[in-house]
Amino acid sequence: MNASMKKYGKIAYDGLITNNATFKLVLGTCATLGMSTSAVNSFGMGLSVTVVLLLSNVIISLLRNVIPNTVRIPAFVVIIATMVTLLRMVLEKYIPDLYDSMGVFLPLIVVNCVILGRAEAFASKQPVLESAADGIFTGLGLTCALTLIGIIREFLGSGSFFGIRVMDFKIGFFTNAAGAFFVYGICIALFVLITDQIDRAKRVKQARLLRVPAGDAPLPPTDAQTEVK
Amino acid sequence: MTVKAFFKSTAFKSLAVLIAIVLAAGALLAICNDLLHISEEERLARSLSKIYGTDVTATEVQLTEEERSYTYGTVNAVYYVQNDGNYLFQTTGKGGYSNGNGKVTLWTVITCTGTREGGDLALTGIEKVVYDSNEGQSFISTLGASFYAAFADRDELVAGGGYFTATEETDDLYNVATGASESSNAACNAVNTALACFRTVLMGGDA
Repeated sequence: MNASMKKYGKIAYDGLITNNATFKLVLGTCATLGMSTSAVNSFGMGLSVTVVLLLSNVIISLLRNVIPNTVRIPAFVVIIATMVTLLRMVLEKYIPDLYDSMGVFLPLIVVNCVILGRAEAFASKQPVLESAADGIFTGLGLTCALTLIGIIREFLGSGSFFGIRVMDFKIGFFTNAAGAFFVYGICIALFVLITDQIDRAKRVKQARLLRVPAGDAPLPPTDAQTEVK
Repeated sequence: MTVKAFFKSTAFKSLAVLIAIVLAAGALLAICNDLLHISEEERLARSLSKIYGTDVTATEVQLTEEERSYTYGTVNAVYYVQNDGNYLFQTTGKGGYSNGNGKVTLWTVITCTGTREGGDLALTGIEKVVYDSNEGQSFISTLGASFYAAFADRDELVAGGGYFTATEETDDLYNVATGASESSNAACNAVNTALACFRTVLMGGDA
């Protein structure tokens, strides 16, 4: 694998897993809780944020040497607000159902911490292609997380899956705000548990390899080795 | 500071870049606004298609300002649908979220028998209620298909002069979505406004 592939692989892994905006960084919570009543709404919101992230990251990266440091935040906000307004127009014209269902959360994408956060932390310092990749993968990480929460809440709260009724029951708790917090919390806990297990397994493997003398076969794990954190 | 020094300063550069970005953004949005503009005819055609799922012919019923205004909502437009003889109302209900100032606009298809010209027009029920737009209703997406369908399941009560409520549970007139009671209230008011307009203006009776 060449260096370029490794670089984009790391950007992808960071956006999807390590720095997952929803489950790891807990950013954009307002939209996550408000829009995840159904899987379709969540997916639509995720894709909308992805598009805005991609466009704003590309433009900010292109202008990173032109925008003075002192006015970078107002400049980023103007660029992000322009992209969101543009997205609103396109959705209202071509996907009116999604536009209607997103309601007030669509213009609120402007103040979504994920977008301003990636603009400030990544796009304002990196070249265009890397910034575009960061926008896509951060957006996809957020879309997957939102859709997962939406699927769970829709299934338990309405007994349906992407609008198709599959079960004849409803638990109203999951359609309201308390249910959103509950599902969100459980998802964060599971995500952190799984990623921690994977990281621990990786570290144990690295520690074992470091202790193997050159040319010898790997040794079976000992208690001391498996306890390496 | 000399004029030359000012034009070379960071402050001027910052201001110039910010103004340039704002102007470019404004120009882009102005062009896109023109390209992506949705005309009133297109909005009406889109709404009719969403309601009926097919092309229909509708003629607007002319109302006075007084006939449009009600306590809990306003009538934006009324159409006589020539395909089935029903009436289609676009109404805005008050009393939604945002200190009671929020509004929900709905399309309501009211089924009837007789004709207005013949003086024997009678309300028989609600065929369909379809969402149109809202003002300040953050949880409008909570009002799912089942919420709107519930309005069409109470023909007997509607034909008997009843109205819907989202604030108190009274037998079959109860219709509220969990987690969005104030938006439900505005939606019920929008449907009630359509019913009131039909009864008072088209049928010529009391609301």
